[in-house]
Amino acid sequence: MPLIRIDDKEIEAPEGETILRLALKHGIHIPYYCWHPALSIVGQCRMCLVEVKGVPKPLTACSTAVTSLPPDKKIDGKYDMVVDTKSQVTKKAQKGVLEFLLLNHPLDCPICDQAGECQLQEYSYTYGEPASRLEFEKVHAPKRVDIGPHVVFDVERCIKCTRCIRFCKEITRTEELTLAERGVHARVETFPGKQLDNPYSVCTVDVCPVGALTSKEFRFKQRVWFLTSTNSVCQECSRGCSVRVDTYKGEVLRLVPRDNPKVNGPWMCDYGRLISERMKDLTVLARPKVREGGRLTAVPWPGFAQVLQKKVASSLKDGAKDAALIWSGRMPLEEMAAAKALSAGIFGGLQGTLPKVCRGEDDDLLIRKERRPNLKGAALLGLAVTGENAPVSSLLKGKKVALVVREDVVGEAQGPEKDAIKAALSAMDLVIVADYALTETAALAHIFIPLAGWHEMEGTVVNFMGVVQKMARSVLPPRDRKAFYEVASLWLSSAGIDAPEASFLAWHAQVRKAVPGMKDLMIRDILPHGVQLPEVGP
Amino acid sequence: MAEVLKLLTRNVGKANSTNVDSYMASGGYEPLMTALHKMSPEQVLGEVKASNLKGRGGAGFPAGLKWSFLPKGRDRVKYLVCNADESEPGTFKDRLLIENDPHAILEGMILAGFATQAAGAFFYIRGEMPQGFRIFQRAVDQAYERGFLGKNILGSGFGFDVYVSRGAGAYICGEETALMNSLEGKRGEPRLKPPFPAGFGVYGQPSNINNVETYANVPLIIKNGGAWYAAIGAPSAPGPRLYGVSGHVKRPGVYELPSGVNLRELIYEHAGGILGDRPLKAVIPGGSSVPVLRADQIDVTMDPDGLKKVGTMVGSAGVIVMNDTVCMVKAMVNLMQFYAHESCGQCTPCREGTHWLKLILQRIEEGGGKPGDVDLILDVSNNIMGRTICPLGDAAAMPAIAFATQFRDEFDAHIREGRCPMAHTHMTVAV
Ligand SMILES: Cc1cc2nc3c(=O)[nH]c(=O)nc-3n(C[C@H](O)[C@H](O)[C@H](O)COP(=O)(O)O)c2cc1C
Ligand code: SF4
Ligand code: SF4
Ligand code: SF4
Ligand code: FES
Repeated sequence: MPLIRIDDKEIEAPEGETILRLALKHGIHIPYYCWHPALSIVGQCRMCLVEVKGVPKPLTACSTAVTSLPPDKKIDGKYDMVVDTKSQVTKKAQKGVLEFLLLNHPLDCPICDQAGECQLQEYSYTYGEPASRLEFEKVHAPKRVDIGPHVVFDVERCIKCTRCIRFCKEITRTEELTLAERGVHARVETFPGKQLDNPYSVCTVDVCPVGALTSKEFRFKQRVWFLTSTNSVCQECSRGCSVRVDTYKGEVLRLVPRDNPKVNGPWMCDYGRLISERMKDLTVLARPKVREGGRLTAVPWPGFAQVLQKKVASSLKDGAKDAALIWSGRMPLEEMAAAKALSAGIFGGLQGTLPKVCRGEDDDLLIRKERRPNLKGAALLGLAVTGENAPVSSLLKGKKVALVVREDVVGEAQGPEKDAIKAALSAMDLVIVADYALTETAALAHIFIPLAGWHEMEGTVVNFMGVVQKMARSVLPPRDRKAFYEVASLWLSSAGIDAPEASFLAWHAQVRKAVPGMKDLMIRDILPHGVQLPEVGP
Repeated sequence: MAEVLKLLTRNVGKANSTNVDSYMASGGYEPLMTALHKMSPEQVLGEVKASNLKGRGGAGFPAGLKWSFLPKGRDRVKYLVCNADESEPGTFKDRLLIENDPHAILEGMILAGFATQAAGAFFYIRGEMPQGFRIFQRAVDQAYERGFLGKNILGSGFGFDVYVSRGAGAYICGEETALMNSLEGKRGEPRLKPPFPAGFGVYGQPSNINNVETYANVPLIIKNGGAWYAAIGAPSAPGPRLYGVSGHVKRPGVYELPSGVNLRELIYEHAGGILGDRPLKAVIPGGSSVPVLRADQIDVTMDPDGLKKVGTMVGSAGVIVMNDTVCMVKAMVNLMQFYAHESCGQCTPCREGTHWLKLILQRIEEGGGKPGDVDLILDVSNNIMGRTICPLGDAAAMPAIAFATQFRDEFDAHIREGRCPMAHTHMTVAV
């Protein structure tokens, strides 16, 4: 293997590896714009120029591959390549390119959404020249181009790194974007009659190193340095993309994909990402509700578990055969374990069922038609899952008691099936709905248990390939919303049954006992990219 | 005085010179027949190597060596390209051949195709040469009719096709890989190299690209032998060469002379001396992209070694002559407008740098120059040089550096006086 020296580091590198990849892998930062680990190499921005010993001109680290020299030609007797990322030549090249990039870049930082996470800002401080020689009128270009349903384009801010173009060409293969015109008038454009409209369009905002492409949903919401970030998992399909959840004062403002080679690479779909927008339309309750005289009335948590247990017990006089339990693939493993404990302790061993909710088709990138994140987890725990979009009404019909957790069975259904579910639920003595929001199903409940949202609690989920990942509490829920495992602890205790403590860790311990392959996994092993469970390989 | 040659230009000026019959009447396509029936591809390649023919497109790369970079045999589809995009300011020699002797170019391409066992060739012609396009397309049609193109050429078993393709008005499409992108219908911007065309060229196939004049030399070499050719003109880059002389000379035009002709002789003897019998001020010897010379530097031979001594290059051999009425700042503004306009814009130093240089130069020319502007020009140019994807960046930076150093006093005077010190002497001339 060739032996390379980058600054003071001696590195053995596989033939063909690029200088930039090697340097980054070994903690040496070479600035770059157009290079992106998941996109083709174009060498256009010239930001990554470095001095390579014996070569008269600086070379682009992103596109220069390591090669071995014949034994008698080695540099200093042993190296195949010697790179200096701090030399005068390198610094001059970096300063030059940055100065060029700023020549026609508007002074928008105070009003630019990217400020604080802008590569141009960052590199200008780190590698740039403090004094400006740019005294000319800048080339002006349109500032608010509506190029797609979720993306706005500021042409002036664009540095022509072409990452967005390559994303649409190489990743989604939708090819909406191209470079048009020449010289300083070169600009990114959508092809005539096209919009930047594909299921992953907001990823262009992620790859844009500057504030040229911004998300319609997030722009102007908040300065990024005020955001609090947590690492979690997208809930919208069985891929379970790794995400970073950015919140401000208890509100989820955006989701950003976390690069996870095991699950989603650096991407996520627009639908999953924009869960933050759909959450705004939900009616969220804070306290348990019990129907009295036709109306749902809020009751305090203390004593609520007893009320619940009493009602269930009195409605199930003839035994568990009168009950229907509907669980959800949205429940993390810990909630599913709690569901099993309730089945055993409260419902006389009655197993519940999870509806397999599907929409559309799998695509060849990330999106899965199974719209729940933890269906695989349910299978691992031995919970019953229905067939694809199988009617739920048959599970409910003729029962007296129903417990529906995290599924809006009414809202998901259509036509006669919807009517059948409604009729079945309306005919019951006791309908208990546990969910984050007040859904169509919850409207029919006799008892409503407010659950913490996916962003308000801890949990682990297993995606369709068998990768277990951890969701995080991105936002502290108001005191009254609890994870279902916490509710279960209270419920079981009120029935006089020994239950794990009402906490994530206590229930996670149950999960580790029950799921094959998780016995020896510590939480810290699962973070940040999850672990492929051996028994359930893809 | 070097004798004017009639080798490359042997048919120029003849009646019906573009017609296949008149081309054949003067021995045209005989070299091709000789090659196909009496020589192996290796022998043809061997003659071209022996001739030491250097590319005429600007970089002067040995043609035979370039051909030998292509994979051997006919297992892989290989293409040739003829670069007829000729758009460099001051360069108009290819056009003469295209419009007067298309069959010579075509014959050279077929010979090269035979030597490299290529499947076919693309002739990429500058969009602004509609006449040349029509003439060349007709030549191709005639060649098909006579069996010089197509399957099994002249019963030799060798087949070869030629497609004519037009550019759409971009100088950058003369750069070999931008040309290939343009041919494929893509945006005309240079490709990052490696991979090089010999491995990954047109439509991803191994490809070889040469200039019009380069191909036009091949029939001469096959007819007379590589050794004959290598003995013409300067040994380091031998052969007849088309020099396009423009600007302030009495007889502008294309002159065919042995390579390595003396530059002073070219200007004063062949091109008839300076227009208006005024003093000479500056000469750009090889198309707009090479460094400019002062009047006292022209006692040099027009070959790579000779011009290297005065810090410049042969380039495309387009000689631009400027007499004492030319403002060097204004001339440089004109050139930089061209490069800024033609930069494809994909890489930062060229896209932004050429534009910036244009602004600085315009400011000086308009009388708003600031002390330090000349150093700024030099520094910006140095930040472009060697930092770009394709040579257009260098092609813009090199002349800027040369103008600003060779004629620094003139730039300084503009800045000092806040105006063009010679505004009243400007003289216009048709180039
Ligand atoms: C910006 C630019 C423009 C060019 N334009 C031309 C051109 O118009 N004609 C040409 O033959 N070569 C042109 N070249 C050179 C070609 O890239 C290439 O080197 C040449 O066609 C090779 O032919 P040769 O080996 O026969 O010289 C240009 C190069 C650059 C960088
Ligand atoms: S919009 Fe952003 S990602 Fe696209 S080319 Fe411009 S800077 Fe790069
Ligand atoms: S692909 Fe699935 S998991 Fe990934 S972001 Fe989209 S909905 Fe979420
Ligand atoms: S040097 Fe100029 S013309 Fe060449 S690729 Fe870069 S921007 Fe385009
Ligand atoms: S990162 Fe290497 S040229 Fe852009």
